[in-house]
Amino acid sequence: MSVAQEAALPRLMRRIGPNALPIAIIVLVIVFAIAQPAFLKPDNLIGIVRQVALIGIMATCTTFVVMTGGVDLSVGPVLAMGGLVAYFVLAAGMSLPIVILAGAATGFAIGLVNGAIIAFLGLPPIIVTLATLSIVRGSALIVGGTDQHLINDWPEYSFIGSGNVLGLPFSIYIFAFVALVMIFIQRRTPLGLLVAAIGDNERAAYLSGHRTRITKMLVYGISGFGAALAGIIQTSQVHTAIAIYGPFGTELDVIAAVVLGGTSIMGGKGSVARTLLGVFFLGIVNDGMNILNVSVDIQLIAKGAVIVVALALASWER
Amino acid sequence: MDQPLLRGAGLTKIYGNLVALNGADITIMPGEVRALIGSNGAGKSTLIKLLTGAVSPTLGTVEIEGETVPLGDPREMIRRGVACIYQHSNLAPAMSVLDNIFLGRQPTGPLGVVNVKQQRREAEALLARHGIDLDLNAAVASLPTVKQKEVEIMKALALDARVILMDEPTGWLAASEVAKLHTTIRALKARGVGVVYISHILDEIFAVCDTITIMRDGRVIAERQVADIDRARVVHLMVGEKLARESEQASQHKRRPRGLGDIRMSARSLGKRGVFSDVSFDLYAGEILCITGLIGSKRTELLRTLFGSDRFDSGTLEIEGKAVSFATPRRAIASGIGFVPEDRHREGLLLDLSVAENLAMASLSRFRTGILLRGKRMMEAARRMIDALSIQPPEPNRPVRLLSGGNQQKALLGKWLNLSPRIIILDEPTVGVDVGAKAEIYTILRRERDRGAAVLVVSSDLEEVMTVADRIGVMVSGTLTSLHDADATDIQQIIREMGGAVT
Repeated sequence: MSVAQEAALPRLMRRIGPNALPIAIIVLVIVFAIAQPAFLKPDNLIGIVRQVALIGIMATCTTFVVMTGGVDLSVGPVLAMGGLVAYFVLAAGMSLPIVILAGAATGFAIGLVNGAIIAFLGLPPIIVTLATLSIVRGSALIVGGTDQHLINDWPEYSFIGSGNVLGLPFSIYIFAFVALVMIFIQRRTPLGLLVAAIGDNERAAYLSGHRTRITKMLVYGISGFGAALAGIIQTSQVHTAIAIYGPFGTELDVIAAVVLGGTSIMGGKGSVARTLLGVFFLGIVNDGMNILNVSVDIQLIAKGAVIVVALALASWER
Repeated sequence: MDQPLLRGAGLTKIYGNLVALNGADITIMPGEVRALIGSNGAGKSTLIKLLTGAVSPTLGTVEIEGETVPLGDPREMIRRGVACIYQHSNLAPAMSVLDNIFLGRQPTGPLGVVNVKQQRREAEALLARHGIDLDLNAAVASLPTVKQKEVEIMKALALDARVILMDEPTGWLAASEVAKLHTTIRALKARGVGVVYISHILDEIFAVCDTITIMRDGRVIAERQVADIDRARVVHLMVGEKLARESEQASQHKRRPRGLGDIRMSARSLGKRGVFSDVSFDLYAGEILCITGLIGSKRTELLRTLFGSDRFDSGTLEIEGKAVSFATPRRAIASGIGFVPEDRHREGLLLDLSVAENLAMASLSRFRTGILLRGKRMMEAARRMIDALSIQPPEPNRPVRLLSGGNQQKALLGKWLNLSPRIIILDEPTVGVDVGAKAEIYTILRRERDRGAAVLVVSSDLEEVMTVADRIGVMVSGTLTSLHDADATDIQQIIREMGGAVT
């Protein structure tokens, strides 16, 4: 290879780098469409969005956590807990707004506890949220037992996950709404700027007069909120609340989507909008493999490999 | 005369266009403790890196006990008995003293099993020979800092080190611990070990060193017996004649000691246990008060307590007549204080964020309506500030990382000017800033002063102090020892006082 070619290659990579994810999505869509034309049917495409709505809500809500240089591993059990709390409040005869509020507030509160421990005790996020992962799962099992709690007689509640509006599942609207709000917060509010500032240089943000620890708490609260909201939607979709929802691997999907979207795991620069690209990328990979009848074991391996390759490309960009 | 343990001759290191070290000579005799001193950028660390083999010289040779050695190979230098103890610990904190001493080269028996008994015997013999008292079983992390330094020294001695380079070894030690370390150094000296002692603290040099090598601008400027030189002369040689001359010319700007006459900040007997004590001064509206001193005189620590990023534990601080003790920087800022820290990368700037975002960082509430951040207003304010401070290039969206040091510093200043602070505190405001930007920063400071702000500057750069100060305070070992009107003193007097001379 000539010297000029060697120099040209990294330059090409640099140009592709920022757009690697959209390009990869387009390539995947083309590949799957050729392999299985049914992939492009509207039903399947809507199905993909519906499939990714839960992970999507969690990923957009946890993007801020990753931007501050943290991570939230506890999203799976918080999802289960949010669904259970909603179920019990519903079973107690409360009105729908209170049901949703109770479920989501549970997640928010768990997130705040995560954030408080991380911000005020200065403990590493990965350990703290790993511990709460275990604690919350245990608590969910105490609250819900091992029973499946059926949710059949509340059509209003079932509408959240199973209803349709203008031909689209209602959960897609919720996903879109949450994503838009998070994008708005990131781009148009002081909180969004402060989150990026903390991830870039927490000390400098503190010395500029910001309440960095309160902000970090809040950010974990948002992450917990997202997980619990996903839990509510899931219980509504499958008409059942149970303590083992959000199994091991949920946090991997969520974090993978955020990091694939280009948010640095070290904190700093990040983007909720790009997290959405990460979500759709993973959703398309999953769906495509399902359509091609790839077995589950191979799917898991392929998904992991895809994440590593994508991250390697992203680091090449730098 | 004995043969030198180590002799470096004509050592030169060139990085691109930068001559980091220019023909330096250094000799260390058995049992000699040699001080190596110079301001930042004088070439000390480059010299040390050459002697440890971390980098290879562009020119020059090193002889160890008369034998010329190949350079640029750290293992070779260790094998030949040159060891270095860095300012930051290189120990494994969770492991025992014994394991640390032999880390990576334990005596092993057959099958590669560590011979614990032999290891312990060797260590005990070593301790006895050098008269050092250490608990071999203790975990390093459980030891006081001075004992950890001794572990590092033992580690060096276990390698049969004949020459030990100590890079600011007392940086993390309390005063009583410094004395202990010096006792250990004297024991080494008695055993014929040569020590190179790098420190900014003149007291220590005069306490423990025999000879002194003074560096400036990459050259060895002077070599003396410590007994034949006094503090003022050392400092003078360190900073150079040119500086002394330039400071004479700098006083063309009219100085305004005590500015407008009203006191903005008043400290009385401020202290923080084990750090600084008995600091009293008044800072007036419309003046620039510079506090200078040697590195290690605890000026930065003082500033931190004024700004609320640390607490003082004795004395009183008043802002415009009201007693305060800020728990957080946020409170200090609310009282009208802005603070430009010394380390702009670690404490000041958000390097990946844009110039506009950095400029807005301390005054976000001004760019907010309800929960909305007013990007446009922020951008306009950024343009105005970029203009006012002539930040180059004038692009508000550029990441601060891509700016030069001087422009980064201006952006950092601009962050506070956005708030029109009543008190501006700056710690080493022109470190790593080129001459042109320095002058601009001085102009900005004078402008703020003339606007009526009270400006407090900590600086080790005497040229800077003589240039911008209306009044000058000198801090020595954690105490503010004197305060002068800038016109009523001169650089010689300040230098004498920095070294601890009583006026």
